[in-house]
Amino acid sequence: MSKTILTVDDSASVRQMVGMTLKQAGYSVVEASDGREALEKAAANHVDAVITDLNMPGMDGLSFIREYRTKPSSNGVPIVFLTTESDDGLKAQAKAAGATGWMIKPFKPDQLLAIVRKVAGA
Amino acid sequence: MSNIDPTEVFRQEAADLIETLEQALLDLETRPDDRELVGLAFRALHTLKGSGAMFGFTAVSEFIHEFETAFDRVRKGEAAVDGRLIAAALDARDHVSRLIDDPDYDPERGQAILGALKIAVSGEAKASQVSEPLGTSSQPAPATSEAAAGWRIRFKLATDALTLGSNPLLLLDEMRGLGPCEIVADASAVPPLEEIEPQHSYLAWDVTLKGPVEREAVDDVFLFVRDDMELTIEPLAGDDDVGPAPVAAVQAPLPAPPKAETTSTAEQQETGPVAAEPRAAAAQPAATTKAERNATLRVPAERLDELMDRVGELVIAQARLSQLAETIHDPSLVNVAEEIERLTSSLRDTTMGTRMVPFGSLFGRFRRLVRDLSEDLGKPIDFVTEGEDTELDKTVIEQLADPLVHIIRNSIDHGLERPDTRAELGKNPAGTLRLSAKHRGAEVAIAIRDDGAGLNAERIRRRAEEAGLISAGQSVADGELYRMIFQPGFSTATQVTALSGRGVGMDVVKRTIDGLRGSIDIDTVSGQGTTVTLRLPLTLAIIDGLLVRVGADRYTIPLAAVEECVELPEGIDAEARGRSFINLRGELVPFLKLRSLFGAENEPDRFQKVVVVSSENTRVGLVVDQIIGNNQTVIKQLSSLHSGLKTFSGATILGDGTVALILDVMHLVGFGQKIEERRRAETLEKAA
Amino acid sequence: MTQAQETNAMHALTIRLQDEMFALEATNVREILDPVPITRVPNAGAFVGGLINVRGNVVPLADLRVSFGMDRPPADTDTRIVVMEIELDGEPMVAGILADKVYDVADIEAASIEEAPKVGMRWPAEYVRGIGRRDDDFVIIPDMQQIFGARANPAANSN
Repeated sequence: MSKTILTVDDSASVRQMVGMTLKQAGYSVVEASDGREALEKAAANHVDAVITDLNMPGMDGLSFIREYRTKPSSNGVPIVFLTTESDDGLKAQAKAAGATGWMIKPFKPDQLLAIVRKVAGA
Repeated sequence: MSNIDPTEVFRQEAADLIETLEQALLDLETRPDDRELVGLAFRALHTLKGSGAMFGFTAVSEFIHEFETAFDRVRKGEAAVDGRLIAAALDARDHVSRLIDDPDYDPERGQAILGALKIAVSGEAKASQVSEPLGTSSQPAPATSEAAAGWRIRFKLATDALTLGSNPLLLLDEMRGLGPCEIVADASAVPPLEEIEPQHSYLAWDVTLKGPVEREAVDDVFLFVRDDMELTIEPLAGDDDVGPAPVAAVQAPLPAPPKAETTSTAEQQETGPVAAEPRAAAAQPAATTKAERNATLRVPAERLDELMDRVGELVIAQARLSQLAETIHDPSLVNVAEEIERLTSSLRDTTMGTRMVPFGSLFGRFRRLVRDLSEDLGKPIDFVTEGEDTELDKTVIEQLADPLVHIIRNSIDHGLERPDTRAELGKNPAGTLRLSAKHRGAEVAIAIRDDGAGLNAERIRRRAEEAGLISAGQSVADGELYRMIFQPGFSTATQVTALSGRGVGMDVVKRTIDGLRGSIDIDTVSGQGTTVTLRLPLTLAIIDGLLVRVGADRYTIPLAAVEECVELPEGIDAEARGRSFINLRGELVPFLKLRSLFGAENEPDRFQKVVVVSSENTRVGLVVDQIIGNNQTVIKQLSSLHSGLKTFSGATILGDGTVALILDVMHLVGFGQKIEERRRAETLEKAA
Repeated sequence: MTQAQETNAMHALTIRLQDEMFALEATNVREILDPVPITRVPNAGAFVGGLINVRGNVVPLADLRVSFGMDRPPADTDTRIVVMEIELDGEPMVAGILADKVYDVADIEAASIEEAPKVGMRWPAEYVRGIGRRDDDFVIIPDMQQIFGARANPAANSN
């Protein structure tokens, strides 16, 4: 069965790009446009990995990661966050919140796939 | 379906973000201390930059990076919002828009705008910071690149790494992908069974990776985990066999020691299912503004049009079915036909609902227009909008934008006086421009009202005579005279400005509104201002109609315009002159005999019916031979061969496949109004 | 189609109006219908006085006999409606053309086509693009753009 990736981004174009790339590589994709929606989607779906933006309206990425990590269902689910700058402070915060890895925007589809394979497997 | 060009999606999204940004900037102008607005603008920039870079809009992304850097100072409270900043930011917003269309668009101008932005935010700070160019910081730091015959890697993940989504098996797989590996698990740290936490990671691994692999590649395997784990990586010495390597732990620079974090995670796990407070707390709307919450599904417009066409066909097919069911008289068929009619009707309403767009979606660009005109002309203006939730068919909305721009320009340029003039007249130096939208039966009324000088009837008359629109001294009703400003080539501006006054544009207004089967009214009071009211039908697609028969022909009347149906009192005959009114509960309502209007030839029915229709506050009775009943009406436009016939707004196809014309109520009411006016004039004459 | 062929022949649908044969550009013809119910358009004038339903579309029905000042007997078993595309003010539109009879599709040699004589013709010269010859008969090639253009918006701003 294909693995399900939850992608969280307020930018529809990024969501689409990520979604298309992952689907073409054989993953199932669940999309959410902010942290709150992501929590709902994560509760409603079995999720194998999460890719989330940090800077979002409503519930931002950091709050989402913290909140999600309080749920037992998040056990063992890798979370990769997207960030536009390689801001070490932010990276440390996100990791402390429970993120598994990160990806620097902008990224190319193959970089995305490499990271997803790395944390979630093929 | 999934083949939508991502660049196109980016463009659409960028348009929305730019709109959000612009609104935030305009709002900031009035509420410079609103942090939420600053955050909103910043987020819009940030997202635009990120997705721009991803979709190859490098110029956009680089420009916004600088823009964002400048704005970040505002966000951090290092610079204040003032008029200069807003002006520069609006310029920057326009530049972004252009860069999206053309990445090479005027780089010098771009630099100038960024310069202005930097100056605008450097108010309190000493020096304008030069930000680092985008891209350099996002490169991963290059690691020392040494290739060896192989590597000996020993690693042990942090205890909670499994919980946090790291998977040692994937790490091992990744290393296997680099070259042949010998992997030995070290289970020495695994506690006795009763102490094992199943979620914890206890194992360490010892990997011998053989092959000319670069150090960087090995480092990359541990990219995400190396800060929080024990990891040694040592080059293999040639083909030599390797003894146990000294373990030099690389300690993680983590704020909390691993031990403490483990317990805290465990605690969180226990409280996880009942941890409701954070969710409840975060459920408070966290700085979401209206613009952001309007998240919706994007559907290409053509697809909506297509859907509407299909529903239109369905409605016609359903009408045929109903007709058939009636002729066949089979009760079960009639039941099904009725069921289908109900379903079709609700499907129609839903489909039309998806095409409805709030009028407020247009307001944004007008705010900017008013602001820019106000600056350019040196006329301070209060721009008031009302009825932004009023919904209109998207086609109507799209086509309305241009006419409204022309009317607003005209009001500001010609209507509103200069501030000093206003002051002399005892008016508020700042003019008021009010844009409103309201539903009225089957129509929407859109009004643009200014509190300026009002139209000058004398001047319009002179100009109309010069332009040959009327002959000298010809008597023309005021309303008609005012409407002349919408004639091609008409302009009374003594001082031609760059914005309006060339007589181009206002005739576009008339043409567009005619095309939408709407009407234009002008009300003006000298010295107090002018109101231009556009009245438009709610939808261009499908309506409920009342089917009537006039002579041998059938016509459809939009049901929303129908107030009531009564019998024409037998004594009243329309042919009798001066008596074309019926008394409707004490009120005289003019009526039109459609038989004579449409030249019906056969014998009239003995009991004529009157369909009372209204537009705005005016009513008129339409006398018909027979009222057949309600039907759903798919509006088909008339070809240009018939578009000159104002009595009809379109045609539709009936259940039996024949075509029926749809009456244009607005026009007929106007017709009735003239009869009414004539009666008043006659009454006055009599009285005099 | 090459230029040479194009100038050589007109690919035409021939129809009869009263006693005359007319040639319509065959490539613009969409279909030929048996008579269908016609909805009268009040005040539209006799030339496009009706609307018909063509596969769910409302199409104006034009009567060229009005333009050529011919008699207009009621429809009989030979009457047909030719649905064709017509360019009006640069915009394509679809209209029905009433025909007393439809003959066939034929190529009319360019060589046989002459300009309409300016005088001495029974028909309004501006509506005739040329006169062709088929076998021993004359064929009138009507100028559809002129005919329809003259009739567009006949009653604009009336009533």
